[in-house]
Amino acid sequence: MEIHVEVNHKPLVWKVNPGEILLDVLRREGYKSVKFGCGQGDCGACTVLIDGQSMRSCLLLAGQVEGRSITTVESLGNHDDAHPLQSSFVECGAVQCGYCTPGMLLSSKALLDENPEPDEDQVREALDGNLCRCTGYKKIIEAVLRAAERMRS
Amino acid sequence: MLPNAKVCLYPRNPQEAVRILNEHGRQALVLAGGTAAALSSDPAVTTLVDLTRAGMDGIEETNAEWSLGCCLRIQQLATHPGIAGLFDGMLSAAAASVGSRPIRNMTTLGGNVVQVFRWSDPPVALLAMNAGFELTGPEGSRRLTADEFFERHPRQVLRPAEILTRVFIRRVQGASGGAFFKYARTAFDLAVVDAATCVELDGRRCREARVVVGGTRTVPWRAHEAEKILVGSRLTKAVMHKAAAAARLETRAMGGLRTDGEYRREMVEVIVGRVIERAVQLAQEKS
Repeated sequence: MEIHVEVNHKPLVWKVNPGEILLDVLRREGYKSVKFGCGQGDCGACTVLIDGQSMRSCLLLAGQVEGRSITTVESLGNHDDAHPLQSSFVECGAVQCGYCTPGMLLSSKALLDENPEPDEDQVREALDGNLCRCTGYKKIIEAVLRAAERMRS
Repeated sequence: MLPNAKVCLYPRNPQEAVRILNEHGRQALVLAGGTAAALSSDPAVTTLVDLTRAGMDGIEETNAEWSLGCCLRIQQLATHPGIAGLFDGMLSAAAASVGSRPIRNMTTLGGNVVQVFRWSDPPVALLAMNAGFELTGPEGSRRLTADEFFERHPRQVLRPAEILTRVFIRRVQGASGGAFFKYARTAFDLAVVDAATCVELDGRRCREARVVVGGTRTVPWRAHEAEKILVGSRLTKAVMHKAAAAARLETRAMGGLRTDGEYRREMVEVIVGRVIERAVQLAQEKS
């Protein structure tokens, strides 16, 4: 069937099997920042924003996103014009292997969109569904707090 | 992934959803949050029915009770200020203890209570709060008490083409207290044991008590022996300890990957004791 979605502000029509996993559709359509990690909703590597809310694309069926707005990390910024979250992740050393990073950035973006002045506990809570096996989280949390500060000023 | 799903339908109201389910029978699969459907690979399913656009995500307040739409997301339950004011916020606490933030953003009240997954904590609180459950099917709507709804697995209580549409939470006056506690290995792991208690006091004596245990069987259950000890008594520490010990004796616990049945029974006494003490303390503060 055909479904109508908006991905990173761009309206699109996709031909899908409604029972396909959204993660598979996104990667097939070229959004390779969305990663397959555990495939069962535990790790957060496949996080995307649906209407601004962080969700697992491995636990969504394609049919469910008809009419919805999807945000992937491709929309955040690029090498020449990085989003404050992206530059603070680099500056704080919050990226090591990088596999969890797109999910971390999107969960952080959802938090800052909702609450521009989070404290450390709120950052930890917002990232509770994103696992990182390299950094130990400390630098990621520092990076989110630094980005929040920069975005306010 | 559902390999044979050909179409996804988006009913605009509960009656339309029921009509579609009635027409398609076992080939239709209801989606609310969709997390369980995504993990299914049932080849019989050809038609998906997305309930999230059927106007069932509202929260309404009347004089006697609150009505919660079945498609409310668990995160909305966890953070809604009105729900935080009911039974000392025990439903908010139960909702906040479900999984991680993205899971709470996806999963719904209805999916959580109909499926009673191992990660479903809200049913424990709802049974203790004596919530009401509105089911809508081809013959119209009927309302069940929490005891009726959780008497068996709710999937066996629902008739063909019937869906859970609303959950009702009554407003309690006077000296009442509610508490929920989940004990798990990590913040987002499944409960080893979770428990909830609601008490209502009449002067110094306990007028009503509901003590509920989750995590030990497929559906939450009331610890009737513990309740009998509390009701009519003055709630001293000794009485509360006796009730918690009674809950342990009436526990039939499943073993499993995380822990064995004996450890679960031991923990029932600890956790039930904790929620009884907390609920009683909150009720006494209001009397």
